[in-house]
Amino acid sequence: MPIVALDPTSGPIDPADARRLAPRPNSLAGQRLGIVVNGLGYCERFLDRLGELLLADGELLGVVKVVKSSVSVPPEPGDWARLTEGATVAITGFGG
Amino acid sequence: MVAPASGLGHRASGIRDSVRSVLHAQREEWADEEAFLEDAFERGWTDGLPVVPPTPEKVEAFLATVGLAPEEVLGAVPTREVTVTAEHAAINAVMAGCRPEYFPVVVAAVRAHLDEHGNCHSTTGTLSGAAQAIIVNGPIRHELGIASAGACLGPGFRANATIGRALRLVIRNVCRSVPGFLDRATFSWPLRYSFCFGENEEASDWTPLHVQRGFAPDESTATVASVMRMVSAWDSTSRTPEGVLDSIVATTRHFGFQGDEFLGDQISFVYIMGKEHHRFFIEEHWSKEQMQEYMWPRLTAPTSGAHDRYTNIQHPENVLIVAAGGAGMAETWILCPHLAWAITKPVERVTTP
Repeated sequence: MPIVALDPTSGPIDPADARRLAPRPNSLAGQRLGIVVNGLGYCERFLDRLGELLLADGELLGVVKVVKSSVSVPPEPGDWARLTEGATVAITGFGG
Repeated sequence: MVAPASGLGHRASGIRDSVRSVLHAQREEWADEEAFLEDAFERGWTDGLPVVPPTPEKVEAFLATVGLAPEEVLGAVPTREVTVTAEHAAINAVMAGCRPEYFPVVVAAVRAHLDEHGNCHSTTGTLSGAAQAIIVNGPIRHELGIASAGACLGPGFRANATIGRALRLVIRNVCRSVPGFLDRATFSWPLRYSFCFGENEEASDWTPLHVQRGFAPDESTATVASVMRMVSAWDSTSRTPEGVLDSIVATTRHFGFQGDEFLGDQISFVYIMGKEHHRFFIEEHWSKEQMQEYMWPRLTAPTSGAHDRYTNIQHPENVLIVAAGGAGMAETWILCPHLAWAITKPVERVTTP
C-alpha cells in the first residue's frame, strides 16, 4: 500500500561538502598568515613554531595569531575581524 | 510545567485544526513501508536502525500533544545556520518510534539541548563523540513508563529508548551531525543511539533534581547533560556515606576537569547513584544538599598527582545527584561533562479542557 511521508531533514547534505577544502595558494610569497589556536593540548606550541619556520623562509609578510577564548566555541567576532582583515591565508589545528 | 486545564487546552484545539494544512516538510510517496525504509537508509535519514515512516497524520498527532504550530522554533544552531522547528522534532520523534504522548518530553529535551549553553555545535561535532543524557523528572515518568529503577540505563523500555533516540535523530537529521560531515567523532559511542532515564524520586525523601533546579515537585522536566565519558564508581566495601562519597570523589578526580571560559561557573557533573549506595544515605538521613557540601571541597581540592586531578566545579549545586537503578551492584555512575551546561526545561503539554 503506498505511503506518504515527510522529509525529516533541514535540507540535503552534499557529500562533496564533507571533503571540500578551502582554496590553496600556489605560494606563501607575499601572504599574511593567520594562525587560529584552538586551545587544546600542544596546539599553540605547535602553531607558534610553524609560524616561526614559515616566517624564517622570508616569503611571508607577517603573521596574525588568534587564540580562541574557549575550546568549545568559534573565535570571537573581534578575532574573526582581525583574521579577515589582516590575513590572506590561515591555518588552524587542534591538539589533544 | 504541566499546563493548566484552561487556556492552553483551548489554544491547542484551535491549533490542531490549522496544523493539518501547514506542515512544511517535503512530502513524498513510496510504494510501501519497506520501500520507504530502504530509501530512508539510502538517504542517511536513520541512525542505522529501522525507523517508523513519518506520515503527515502521525506528525499532526504529535504536534497536537504540545499545541505548537509546525513552524514554532524550538532552537537553533547558529554556526550551522540551522533552525529547529516543532515539525522537525515531531517528524523525527515519529521516526524514532515514540508514542504521541512522549512528544512533550522530546520537545523539552530538544529545547534544552538547543539552549545556547547546551552548545549543540560543539557537543555533537566534537572528536570526543560526546553524548546527550536526558534525565526526566516529575509525574510524567509514571504516565509514560519512563524507567528509573533496575536496568534503566539500558534497553527494554520504549519511552526511554525512543525519547533518547528522537533527540539524536533531530541532531542527525536537522542539526546535520552526520558522521564524516558535522559529526567528527574519532570513535563515537553507543550512548549516541539513545540515552534517557528517569530519576527514581520515590526511592527516598531526597529533593528531586528538578526541584533543586527551581521547579515544583508536581511539574515534569527534562534535563539534558552533555556526557564526555561515563564512569562507574564501584565500591562494595564502604558502609558509610562518607566512605561511599570518598570513593566517588576519587573516581571523579582520576579524570578531573579544567575550566573553560564559555562554560564559566556552570560546569556540572551528574552522579547517578544506585540503590546499594543510596541505602547508606537513607539510613543515615543524608540529604542531597549534605552530599553536595561534602563532595564539593573534595572535588575541588588541588591536584596531587597524575591520577588525582582538580575538578573545576564552582558551586556545590553543580554536583548533580540523581537516584536511579536497581539492587545488586554497589556503584554510582558518573557522567563527566563535555563542553555544555546541564539544562533543565519544563515539559509543557496540552491538557483536555
